[in-house]
Amino acid sequence: MPPLHDSPPGAALARILVIDDEPQIRKFIDISLRSQGYGTLLAATGQEGLTLLASKGADLVILDLGLPDRDGREVLQELRQWSNVPLIVLTVRSGETEKVALLDAGANDYVTKPFGVEELLARIRALLRMAGLRSEPAPVYDDGTLRVDLAAREVSLHGQAVGLTRKEFALLTLLVRQPGRLITQTQLLRDMWGPTHVEDAHYLRVLVGKLRQKLGEDASAPRYIITEPGVGLRFLPQEP
Amino acid sequence: MGARQTEQADALLGELKRQSAGRLTVFLGAAPGVGKTYAMLTRARELQRQGMDVLIGIVETHGRAETLAMAEGLPLLPRKRVEYQGRQLEEMDLDGLLARQPAIALVDELAHRNIPGSRHERRWQDVEELLDAGIDVYTTVNVQHLESVNDLVYQITGVRVSETVPDAVFERLRDIRLVDLPARELIERLNQGKVYLPEQAAHALQAFFSPSNLTALRELAMQTVAEYVDTDLREKRTARGLEGSAIQRHVLIAIDGREYSEYLVRAGARIAERRGAPWSVVTVDTGRSAEATRLAEDLPQARASTGVRAEQQRQMEIDKAFALARSLGGDTEVLHNTDVAQALLDAAAVRGARSIVIGRSRDRFMARLLNRTLTQQLLLRGARYELTIVSTPQARKQALGLTDIRGELLTRREPALILVASLGAVGTAALAERFLGLQDLSMVFLVAVMLVAARTRMAAAVITAVLCFLAYNFFFIDPRYTFLISAHRGVATVLCFLAAALIAGRLASRLRMQVVALRAANNHATAMQNLGRKLAQAADLGQVIAAGSAVLQSTLHAEAWMRINTESGPAGNARQLTDKDRVAADWTQQHGQASGRYTDTLSNSTWWFLPVCPDKDSLGVVGLRFPSGMGRLSFEQRRLAESMVDDIGQAALRTRLVSELEVARVTGETERLRSALLSSVSHDLRSPLSSMIGAADSLSRYGQDMGPEDRHSLLETIHVEGERLDRYIQNLLDMTRLGQQGLTLSRDWIGIDELVGSASRRLQRYEPGARIEHDIPPGLPPIHVHPALIEQALFNVLENAAKFSPPQEPIRVQVRRTEDDQLRISVSDRGPGIPEDERRRIFDMFYSVERGDRGRHGTGLGLTIVQGIVGAHMGSVEALPGLDDQGTTICLTLPWGPYPSQEHHAHAPSP
Repeated sequence: MPPLHDSPPGAALARILVIDDEPQIRKFIDISLRSQGYGTLLAATGQEGLTLLASKGADLVILDLGLPDRDGREVLQELRQWSNVPLIVLTVRSGETEKVALLDAGANDYVTKPFGVEELLARIRALLRMAGLRSEPAPVYDDGTLRVDLAAREVSLHGQAVGLTRKEFALLTLLVRQPGRLITQTQLLRDMWGPTHVEDAHYLRVLVGKLRQKLGEDASAPRYIITEPGVGLRFLPQEP
Repeated sequence: MGARQTEQADALLGELKRQSAGRLTVFLGAAPGVGKTYAMLTRARELQRQGMDVLIGIVETHGRAETLAMAEGLPLLPRKRVEYQGRQLEEMDLDGLLARQPAIALVDELAHRNIPGSRHERRWQDVEELLDAGIDVYTTVNVQHLESVNDLVYQITGVRVSETVPDAVFERLRDIRLVDLPARELIERLNQGKVYLPEQAAHALQAFFSPSNLTALRELAMQTVAEYVDTDLREKRTARGLEGSAIQRHVLIAIDGREYSEYLVRAGARIAERRGAPWSVVTVDTGRSAEATRLAEDLPQARASTGVRAEQQRQMEIDKAFALARSLGGDTEVLHNTDVAQALLDAAAVRGARSIVIGRSRDRFMARLLNRTLTQQLLLRGARYELTIVSTPQARKQALGLTDIRGELLTRREPALILVASLGAVGTAALAERFLGLQDLSMVFLVAVMLVAARTRMAAAVITAVLCFLAYNFFFIDPRYTFLISAHRGVATVLCFLAAALIAGRLASRLRMQVVALRAANNHATAMQNLGRKLAQAADLGQVIAAGSAVLQSTLHAEAWMRINTESGPAGNARQLTDKDRVAADWTQQHGQASGRYTDTLSNSTWWFLPVCPDKDSLGVVGLRFPSGMGRLSFEQRRLAESMVDDIGQAALRTRLVSELEVARVTGETERLRSALLSSVSHDLRSPLSSMIGAADSLSRYGQDMGPEDRHSLLETIHVEGERLDRYIQNLLDMTRLGQQGLTLSRDWIGIDELVGSASRRLQRYEPGARIEHDIPPGLPPIHVHPALIEQALFNVLENAAKFSPPQEPIRVQVRRTEDDQLRISVSDRGPGIPEDERRRIFDMFYSVERGDRGRHGTGLGLTIVQGIVGAHMGSVEALPGLDDQGTTICLTLPWGPYPSQEHHAHAPSP
């Protein structure tokens, strides 16, 4: 897996649909995206956005939750019935439970308003890269310090092999497979221990603690595995 | 001193009540036909001439011309037509009168009995309602209708007047006017046909109007008026603080439920009244009533013995006498004790009574011989008290007819028990004689008698004693198998045995009765305790209602419903209330008096409604529906229900006070906060906005003249100030979220290092220059908190530290596990520090704003939010001096919460 770059190959072709009723926000996102070589489609209402997506198609959707014609959640649900396009939700600050609900409803990531352009672009890049990699064989993450070979089930740090248990490796796999993406705690618990254990957050806490330890991470100043309190975990790829 | 002041306060209170509510003027006469109605109308005309608003509610002229002429010209309220058993009858229109609100209403015949189905059973109750509504009432009544002289009238005339008016009505008295006519003149008028008499009663009443009767009644009327004038004067003097009656001379009236109980109550009340003394009526329950209740439940209805029925009869007598006592203004209580004399003396001591009034004891020869009658015992043991013994004509007669419950038929299991005990004794005695050679076999039989007595009542014990006596005599005393006794020694043994058996039996059964009596008293106490406990846990009115009705239902075995203020419950029972019931409930709440079943107001409701806190402008109403088969309430039940309702009322009042206090406190605090918030908003919203607007404006106007660095710097300003504004708004939002009622924590397991990490990362986004040093020991277990909230709290503390710390000086975050197993997070900065006396205040809302218009200090909300969040987690925050006495350390302490079980992790299923 290639390390992070500002302009990944193929990004110039990516077309992004922005659904937001605020003209000012639409404007600055549009300008920023075009300056980075993305194509844009702009919609002011949910209905308009859905129509645009259906007729012209897009590689990624940025959806604002507060729309004038209908609730953003509804748009998200309807969209997910017929499209798997990567989707970032824009939301004014809401509780973490709400964020989890959005992720569970099919959003791939969220950005809270107000946000920096850099943050938004980083999320867009991560999602587009993942979408491009979906069909590729088991990738290898390597930033020069940490190397994870998912197929060979090998992890090494500074060239030294790291011995992970089956569970630890499974967790690392879940995270590394979707770099930069926030994965909810519920989803991690379900994938790791099955649907009956989605409430047992302490399993995850203990496991993450051990994994971080083995990766030489300090939880209070993490580099790779970021905790979003009350929401979930995110693997942050590092530049070599 | 206390008693006098209380008395004075009571008198003042009474006076006040009388001034605000309507007042009663009574035209009292000795007999019908003396001209009461005429006198009342004459007075009314005078008042009308003076411009008073007088209205005739109801006046019976009985077709007398001169009365009719007097009524002419006075405004008259049309009567209400009521249909009763197919006949059209007329009645006073109470609601019309209340709606019309005259200053003075004339209501004739206070003792009148209303047509069944009217709101009140009696007219005096209508009058009370009018008085409550602030209407002055003029009314007429004959002296024989007064409750307290009812018995005297009966003794004088031999006619029992059933329509009596309780003396308590006269508490509202403004004026009592005697309408007097010499006996001779009255008889003359009678002979002239000027006195109206109901036809069917005319004959009986003829005897009533004998000259001697009339003279006696006239004297009684005069006496009554004199007494009221006297009482009135005394109360007025007391209200003014003049010396009233020097000592509380309480009068204790003891009744036992024989037929003369009501007579005794009236007599005692008169004695107390004359002395202006408070009084109370007591009865002593020796456990017999509980026994009778138990027996009545044991036995099928048909077999309920006459003794049990007599006991129930006696209970009803007591109930009636108590009801009478209450209507005359006395207290009532049931005492539990097997020793009647002792119970009375105790009660007298408790109440500070000087006098005890009792009825004449039934003369039992043996008792009198042994100095055991109640009168004798009271005289012997209660030397301090003045003893008044009231004799009644019925007392002796009654004594003969009395059946003692103890001599009553046995319950089903008792004959079996007696037989088994007796036969067992015979068998045991035979065996003992043959194999052990025991000489004195009476002991064996004595044991049998004791066994029976300890388990049953006196009757069974006596029968067993006699049976055993006979068996002993028959089987074991020579000559055997006859009832003859040959030796003197034998006679002595047998007689001694009989005496011992009877005494032991009596002792044992008395002990048992005592236990039963105690149990009854205990039941009451337990029920009240149970209620008290439940109510103590109730935090608001809804819970008081729920807990109260649940306890009422389970204790009284009745359906309960209550409404206090505007809340009512439980909903299931509320649905069963018909409109009729609701009218009764409303009436009770409005008037603070019981209504519905078991009362004489709106008694066609199946519910019994009791007012809650009647003295505190009636807080609410409690309804109880007993099974329809329960024709009457025992005094115990009534008293228990009333005391429970009292307690519920107190609890409701308490919750109301608490919430009122809370509202007052919150209102005050809200006011203070609002002004602080306004100044904060103007300061903290405007300064970043003005920077942003200024920078953007400069850029758009002069951007092309600036160097790229200046342009970038201005852009940076817009960005940084925008972020600052955003954080401020976030703080306000957090504050409202925390301030909202019922903020629920969704706790989850999270590592404290993860939280510190997340907060630090966020801070570094806003303050890229800030250096944070962590000191977190490895291996800490995860904590059980609301992760996002605690992270926000940590962020706020860090942000605060960063604001004051000089650049390049690190902020230290230290996490420790305290000795009492709590989590302590200390965040230290190297800033200027906080003076000791202000350290507490930094957690106050808008604290930094209060210090003045200093830009760098932010909103003064951050630390308040920290305190709110940590407080919600049952933790604490404090500000301490920083490391080496430099700067400040903010210290968060959080309880750890339960540790997650680690073994789950090890055995958790694989994906």
